[in-house]
Amino acid sequence: MNKYDYIKAKTLDEVSKLLIEKNGKATILNGGTDLLVRLRENLIEPELVIDIKGIKELRGISFDDQVGLTIGALTTMNELGEIDEINKNYAFLADAAHTVGSVQIRNRATLVGNICNASPLADTATSLLVLNAKINTYHVEKGERTISIHEFFTGPRTNSLELGEIVVSITIPTVKGKGVYLKNARRAEVDLSTVAVAAFKDDKNQYKIALGSVAATPIRAFKAEEILNNGDVTDATVLQAAKVARETATPITDIRASKDYRSEMVEVMTKRAIKKLLEA
Amino acid sequence: MDYVGKSIKRVDGIKKVTGYTKYTDDIKMSKMLYAKAKRSPLAHAKILSIDTSKAEKLPGVKAVITGKDIPIRVGLYLEDKTFLAVDKVRYAGEAVAAVAADTVEIATEACELIEVEYEKLPGVYGIKDAIAKDAPLVHEDLGEYKHGSIFFPEPGTNISNHYKIIKGDINKGFAEADYIFENEYYVPHIQHSPIETHSTIAQAEPDGKLNVWAGCQSPYAVRAALSAALELPLHKVRVSSPQVGGGFGGKAGTTLEGIVIPLAQKCLGRPVKLTYTREEEFIASFVRQGLLGKMKTGVRKDGKIVAQEITYYWDGGAYTEYGVNIARSGGYSSVGPYDVENVRADSLCVYTNHPVGGPYRGFGMSEIHFCIEQNMDAVAAAMNIDPAEFRRINCLKEGGHNVTGQQVFNVGLTDCIEAVTEDMKWEEKVNTEIKDGKIRGKGISLAFKAPSMPNNVPSSSIVRFNEDGTAHLSVTAMDIGQGSDTVLTQIASEVLQLPPEKILITTGDTENTPYEWQTVASRITYCAGNAVYRAAEDAKSQFLELGAKGLGLSPEEVELKEEAVVSKADPDKRMPFSSLSMGLTMPDGSGIHGPIIGRGAFIPPEVKDTDPETGQGEKPTAFWTYGAQVSEVEIDIETGDIRVPTTAAAFNVGKVINPQLCEAQIEGGIVQGLGSVLWEELVLEKGIAKNPSYVDYKIPTSVDIPEMKVSLIEIAEPTGPYGARGVAEPAMVATAPSIANAVYNALGVRIETMPLTKERILNAVKQSKKVQDYLKNMK
Amino acid sequence: MVEINFTINGEKVNKQVDPNKTLLKYIREDLDLTGTKEGCGAGECGACTVLVDGKAVNSCLMLAVEADGKEITTIEGVSDGYNLDPLQEAFIENAALQCGFCTPGMIMSAKALLKKNPTPNEDEVKSAISGNLCRCTGYKKIIDAIMDISKQNSKERGDE
Repeated sequence: MNKYDYIKAKTLDEVSKLLIEKNGKATILNGGTDLLVRLRENLIEPELVIDIKGIKELRGISFDDQVGLTIGALTTMNELGEIDEINKNYAFLADAAHTVGSVQIRNRATLVGNICNASPLADTATSLLVLNAKINTYHVEKGERTISIHEFFTGPRTNSLELGEIVVSITIPTVKGKGVYLKNARRAEVDLSTVAVAAFKDDKNQYKIALGSVAATPIRAFKAEEILNNGDVTDATVLQAAKVARETATPITDIRASKDYRSEMVEVMTKRAIKKLLEA
Repeated sequence: MDYVGKSIKRVDGIKKVTGYTKYTDDIKMSKMLYAKAKRSPLAHAKILSIDTSKAEKLPGVKAVITGKDIPIRVGLYLEDKTFLAVDKVRYAGEAVAAVAADTVEIATEACELIEVEYEKLPGVYGIKDAIAKDAPLVHEDLGEYKHGSIFFPEPGTNISNHYKIIKGDINKGFAEADYIFENEYYVPHIQHSPIETHSTIAQAEPDGKLNVWAGCQSPYAVRAALSAALELPLHKVRVSSPQVGGGFGGKAGTTLEGIVIPLAQKCLGRPVKLTYTREEEFIASFVRQGLLGKMKTGVRKDGKIVAQEITYYWDGGAYTEYGVNIARSGGYSSVGPYDVENVRADSLCVYTNHPVGGPYRGFGMSEIHFCIEQNMDAVAAAMNIDPAEFRRINCLKEGGHNVTGQQVFNVGLTDCIEAVTEDMKWEEKVNTEIKDGKIRGKGISLAFKAPSMPNNVPSSSIVRFNEDGTAHLSVTAMDIGQGSDTVLTQIASEVLQLPPEKILITTGDTENTPYEWQTVASRITYCAGNAVYRAAEDAKSQFLELGAKGLGLSPEEVELKEEAVVSKADPDKRMPFSSLSMGLTMPDGSGIHGPIIGRGAFIPPEVKDTDPETGQGEKPTAFWTYGAQVSEVEIDIETGDIRVPTTAAAFNVGKVINPQLCEAQIEGGIVQGLGSVLWEELVLEKGIAKNPSYVDYKIPTSVDIPEMKVSLIEIAEPTGPYGARGVAEPAMVATAPSIANAVYNALGVRIETMPLTKERILNAVKQSKKVQDYLKNMK
Repeated sequence: MVEINFTINGEKVNKQVDPNKTLLKYIREDLDLTGTKEGCGAGECGACTVLVDGKAVNSCLMLAVEADGKEITTIEGVSDGYNLDPLQEAFIENAALQCGFCTPGMIMSAKALLKKNPTPNEDEVKSAISGNLCRCTGYKKIIDAIMDISKQNSKERGDE
């Protein structure tokens, strides 16, 4: 029976050092809503669990007109909805966070934890993609760096963090516009997504579209965006963009839905997302 | 009446809202040990060897058992099951060994150290596999199994019960028909999913007596099974049940109790607890059987059904000790609440290498009504008759005959149909119009059920009084949430004219509370209610006799009023209960009689066997409860998303003992039905459950519920206490078919299986001429 | 074992806890507070809901050791020991419970909601308890009970 040691880290250096020392046998505990499930099912058998919730650098939100909105790693899904800046400019990100699990889950699960788990189903990932989010990390030996969200997801449940590297915060570069997050699931609340679409239209009428649960990682639908961004946005081009988005996706058949259904929903939901932004 | 018919608050309310109520897993005893079962990963395999030596050596392990420790076959209706697999495993998840240890973690680790060698056997993965020629046999020794005389297993096959109905002459019937329709429907497995998983604690006393604490619907049934399996006399086995956290049939009969006891017997005196994980709950406790229903219906031009030929195949799973009776109930209810003159029905319970099918709320009724009511709806559509009207033409009415030939009275079906069609404005046809990409439809379903129990099973109750005139009411009817503690107290209160606060009900202990067959079959208000009524009447007559003596009157001249025996002519002449409950003291100081103890016993009157060949009989069941439901659905034609905004249900309950609790039961049943038709399916692939957890087995949440309008019709059941019938199970039965029929009404396409997933609905939308024409016209 | 300090139902305690234990198991087995239930152990059913610093949380998804520095409230801490909390009374009045197993978790979620938003509407109530599964009641009467308190609060605030 796997028994792990527990430590509540006090500094970023401490965490980074331990991760390196344990060489893959240590895992970070943040919100815990994913980790504890995996521990229970023996999908992960760490020797050491490192609780990062005591590290002050990971706490808090800051806003800077130039840099954007920086959200600390400890920020929970529910807390996102309480941040003024988010409600003013990026409400759809809070909406996406609001579809994660239940109230109880959202009081613990964190935005950063959601993307570090790198599930193709991650509800916040698609919104962060269309917002061009930047992930700020720290490594005890290599220092700080920023990873674009577009380079963060490398496969189902894998991200581009190096051993010893931990995410400190996420920055959403300042951008004005409107966004929307649509989630198709079996049940109205508390369900994993079958298909998800996030779309953003900035104040220059440029669109960004991201698709979730239909590829190995959350993805941008670049080709669909081109159709909208390089010409007039008409009923016909919206439908065309939706069709092209469908072709971008590579969904699978699993217990939640067939790949045909998912494929069709990419088209339907992309169309609906764009229409919503047009009405806004 | 002062108490019956009132919405008295639950007597267990305060304990439950404060978290005080104890369920089995809450019980902690000194020197307690914890058990875990080792389960087969294979659906059908011979057990070649089991090596428990490594497990036994693990520090903290106190006992290890295998099937050899408890090899006796038991079963409620057919003795085909053992608590642990003995020679072979018949379903994936079947327990092959078990460990008792100091902690759950150690027990779990020990299970991993047990080495089992299997020889895979060809699997029977569904009804088709099971009835195929030369199908592998799940139970080769079926011919040797003891079973109740009303069950008909076919040795040498996978058929564990073949129940027949032959009523009238179907050849004549079909000849008379102007139209003949044939339809087929499939209902997959679902699981009860009570929020409390199964849990049992067992303790073996040094003199051989056994104590079992099991959250169960039927302490006496558990006792009987354990006594048989362990070859112990009944009085040496004590089964008591703490509060049950939801049963729905899954905690009826026995499930895990027999695993814990041999462990306890090896750890003399130390209690051993086994609590199921949610995953075990899904695969290793009862599931609701899958059903394949084939219906051939002959109808006259005027809309009257004149003949039906029905075959029900039940995917009973690895052990059908309980399932055989579901097949039987499906058989004697086979055409639904309709008056059909000529019927041939075959209801076959079939063995497969699937999880164990057992009693699930409705006991076959939800499953067959999905077939029956969609079939009725399909026939009505083909004949261009309004679905509600078609039901009215064919439904059972006063003096009609059901499929067993029984003549029925106090039906109330037409009243139920009127109530729901009015509540849902049935006459306002839900439009063909598609608004905002959404289309709506309305569907109707009828339902009926009788309690499925052996004819002669008894209930009993004792009411005894204290010196101060308060009383103890003793039953073994289990309050599994439905509110029986409260309702039975109300009945006693009414007879005795003693307020519920002055009666304390105790239940659930074979050593201390009197016999109750099982809390299943929607039978408790009726059966235990009658027993309580009689016990209270018995106490009442003792009070009247003693009180009359004390007042110098004759018993006819006094009555019970306000906790006293009171002179009818002069109400100031009264003797309070407290002056009589311990006997009557005479003027000379002597005493007579002794403590007042009321005894009540009840067996439903005159319920008789049916003819083994034709299933025909005069009174095959204690009573029938009838109902109707209309549901409205809204479908998103682009995503297949389906919502049920409103539903109305009506049931003839005979007499409502507690209106609020009765309504609560029905609301719960409706939502459970909603889950079964929209999301629930235990997905089985080659015998392995693919979704044994809440991640992928979805039940309704608070945001999913429709607006529910419930009507309670009261046409008395003459043999019921105050005219009451049971409604616990019927509450769920009409929901799924009413929704499926509403989908048909919206789209003109019928989905012949459950659940109605978005994908299935979207496919139906694509086949819907109505919708496709509309979309074409839009362009 | 790890040493932690926390408050449980108003009582400050100092304990040694096994870091391999969830808060749920710790509450039930070590603190003997069995009102909080395990329904699935995986954060899906809400039967294990407790309040951590006033917020509803699945205790099966927290380690016991994470209680350090926190105020934990379980169902046992809802009534003051003499009188029922009005929410508990509302549950009884409305027959918002049947088998009672989901009830503690349900009440904790409702308490968290009413603390944050004393006058929720029906949709807000439904969303607040969508993480609490109930198989018996069909939820209707639970929603009614919570709405009763919401209406009571509205009245007290004077916004009719």
